[in-house]
Amino acid sequence: MADLWMWLEGLPLAAYIGEGWLFPFLESIHVLTGTFVVGSILMVDLRLLGLAAGRYPVSRIVKEIVPWTYGACVLSVVAGLGLFITRAGHYAANPAFQIKMVLLVLAGLNMGVFHLVTVRGIARWDDAARPTAGARFAGGCSLLLWIGVMLSGRWIGHLL
Amino acid sequence: MNGTFGGLIRTLDGSAVQALAVRLLSEVPGFPPMIQTVHLLGITAIMGSVVLIDLKVLGLAIPSQSTPDVIRRLMPWTWCALPFLAASGLVFVFARPNRYFVNPVFGTKLAMLVPALILAATLQVMSAKNPGLWKEPGAARVSARAIAAVSLLLWIGIVLAGRWIAYADYLFTMG
Repeated sequence: MADLWMWLEGLPLAAYIGEGWLFPFLESIHVLTGTFVVGSILMVDLRLLGLAAGRYPVSRIVKEIVPWTYGACVLSVVAGLGLFITRAGHYAANPAFQIKMVLLVLAGLNMGVFHLVTVRGIARWDDAARPTAGARFAGGCSLLLWIGVMLSGRWIGHLL
Repeated sequence: MNGTFGGLIRTLDGSAVQALAVRLLSEVPGFPPMIQTVHLLGITAIMGSVVLIDLKVLGLAIPSQSTPDVIRRLMPWTWCALPFLAASGLVFVFARPNRYFVNPVFGTKLAMLVPALILAATLQVMSAKNPGLWKEPGAARVSARAIAAVSLLLWIGIVLAGRWIAYADYLFTMG
């Protein structure tokens, strides 16, 4: 892995981002899109938990909100990668960064399990103000994991 | 130290409030990133409410829900987030008033925040007074969409400026 980090840091693009206005620019885009990712997924999570928008079917909320989440997520990842390559080795060794990555993977797995498994029986609880236990669990996990991603993400800069 | 905020800086500098903020930030382990995360979660609520409302009013998001219902349900999130945003932000401002009140990026952020809040309240009042306005083409709907467009740009600007406060030195010492 160390070779990969070295290679990334050696890219002309990494130097270009690290030396100029691009680093703070990408950082501000990362914050903008990251908060939008969590702000939009929060609506889905609260619906899954049975705490909001009870009169709208879960499937419709997911269908109308999640594409926005994905769009913002792609931008956030691109901006994040731009930040990462400037000091890849440092970030990879940063405990806050490592925790953030673990939490991101867990959030992704949580989403995957929900979309592949939990959603199968959705017909039974789509209109329910309080969805099934599995769906509520997914919503709760998502909420906590994304708060954790934000906290650990914000902590990265305090450890460098 | 003159300018609009000169008096504020003189009041805060050396005050007990400043001493408390400095102590909290420097002596409580993990206090700065935790308070910054509270601020980020506040922005998250803004994204999930007023920003999404702007997108809805512009006809870009949440097509199946009615606009007055979206505004009624989501706007309270913005108003509830504001005290948390203000409190978490003020901890840093109180600790180092000089860093913020003479910072042009911080000034720009506040200058965008005031109209953004007024526009959010305007949209909410417009929708509450005339929930039918979203269905009838006309001047009211056009102005509501214009408000939403400006509001969206302001909130994007506020978030970007927030992150740039820390880089103001870099911005203004170039060349």
